[in-house]
Amino acid sequence: MHADQAEFQDFLSLSSVVTGFTAFQLQGTGQAESYFSTLIDILGEATVAALLQVFRRVQRETGEDAAALDRLLRAAIFSDEKLGPIARNLIKLWYVGTWYPLPAAWREAFGELEKDTTFVVSPAAYTEGLLWPAIGANPAGAKGPGYGTWSAPPRIPEV
Amino acid sequence: MSLKRITTLDELHNYLHAAMQLEHATIPPYLTALYSIQPGTNSAAFHVLRVVVVEEMLHLTLAANILNAVGGAPDLAREGFVPLYPAYLPDGETDFEVGLQRFSREAVETFLRIERPARSSEESQRLVRRQRVDRGLLPTFRAEDDSDLHFYSIGEFYQEIGRGLAYLQEEKAKSGETLFSGDPARQITPDYYYSGGGEIIPVSNLETAQEAIRLISEQGEGFGKRIYDYEGELSHYYRFQQLVLGRYYRKGDAPDHPSGGPVDVDWDAVYPVKTNACLADYPQPSELHAAAVEFNARYKDFLGRLTQAFSGRPELLLDAVGDMFRIRETASQLMRNPIPGTSGLNAAPTFEMPLPTET
Repeated sequence: MHADQAEFQDFLSLSSVVTGFTAFQLQGTGQAESYFSTLIDILGEATVAALLQVFRRVQRETGEDAAALDRLLRAAIFSDEKLGPIARNLIKLWYVGTWYPLPAAWREAFGELEKDTTFVVSPAAYTEGLLWPAIGANPAGAKGPGYGTWSAPPRIPEV
Repeated sequence: MSLKRITTLDELHNYLHAAMQLEHATIPPYLTALYSIQPGTNSAAFHVLRVVVVEEMLHLTLAANILNAVGGAPDLAREGFVPLYPAYLPDGETDFEVGLQRFSREAVETFLRIERPARSSEESQRLVRRQRVDRGLLPTFRAEDDSDLHFYSIGEFYQEIGRGLAYLQEEKAKSGETLFSGDPARQITPDYYYSGGGEIIPVSNLETAQEAIRLISEQGEGFGKRIYDYEGELSHYYRFQQLVLGRYYRKGDAPDHPSGGPVDVDWDAVYPVKTNACLADYPQPSELHAAAVEFNARYKDFLGRLTQAFSGRPELLLDAVGDMFRIRETASQLMRNPIPGTSGLNAAPTFEMPLPTET
């Protein structure tokens, strides 16, 4: 369990909003804690804290209003020169289990980060990627195996 | 239900139904421990548990084959087939608890007791008179004076099945009939059951029935005080013992003294799932509660599919294997989610089967 439980919960909420999957589904992948520490490892605690702080403010200001949340997220996070690329990377991380380097413009503006390279977080991260349930398929050879199951129609999960 | 000495076909059927129920009842506890292990860790423990749970599936299927061979009708979807946990198994003069819990030293201690129950030393001790616990996995034994006795352990229960099969076959033979009049098409054969913890034995006569019983009762505890069973495989008991002793067995080792390489066990790389979790532990309404309810419904459907497979449609076992992988996925999803309001406990499948009216 991560030391800062409140920050971790904020990370989960942010992840849920930007991926479109519920916190239950995200936790169900078993990757939440490892992605949170990956983010901190690459960006440092201060940058992650800043991202979560903006997210908390956006949540507070919009309450239950989903449309307002969407609007304010785009304005405060996705259009932000520093936080936008990080949020987009977070989405990619959840969907494919891979960290991709931040854009060149980001690195020029905010500096190179030592661990900001392309890597798969863990073997499980690949098979637990959200892209698989999103397209109603299984990661080949890793889930839904069993002789002949490939001849059955795909089961599209509710997303 | 209580059982009597086997003198009729009906009573034999009751015993074999109880045997199927018993063999299945060990599977949810083993699966809970198995799936609580975090992916990529504890490969030794994961493989020991996996081997054992797959062999329990073989035992279940063997019990179904025997029941079908003597004209019975397996039904895994009926009410009460899946016990409420914790349940209890007899261990000589006492019972011990069999529950749904994470992989831990305590869980392995329980598995050791499941796999090597105490043996009565004399015939007169096969049945004992003692306090009955609720939720016992073995039915009681109704004595001739109408009092309830208890099997000393699982071994005594299977001994009575073996004796009953021989007795009834002898009785049938007197009038030129056979006890084994079941439809051979209902047998599960190696065509549809393979790579599953040993060879499936289609049952067609007393010899094959006794062979199946021997496999069920000896795969767990080894053959005559040796660490290997009669197929030459390390028995379940000694497989589990390796985890506790931290060392692998090698050929030629004496019981309790493994001399092979070290076994690494990381007791902490385990999801902290709540022991014997039930639906009432999960807030309602919540996605967690809904997922647990859904798991139980799918598990019941799966047992229905196995019932069909054991009723003349063995090809359905192929689909059932696909079901098993989905069961694993859903179980893992539950185990990775914390139960709100607890300090650091995660959820787990509850294996509470929905009542017929709810489905």
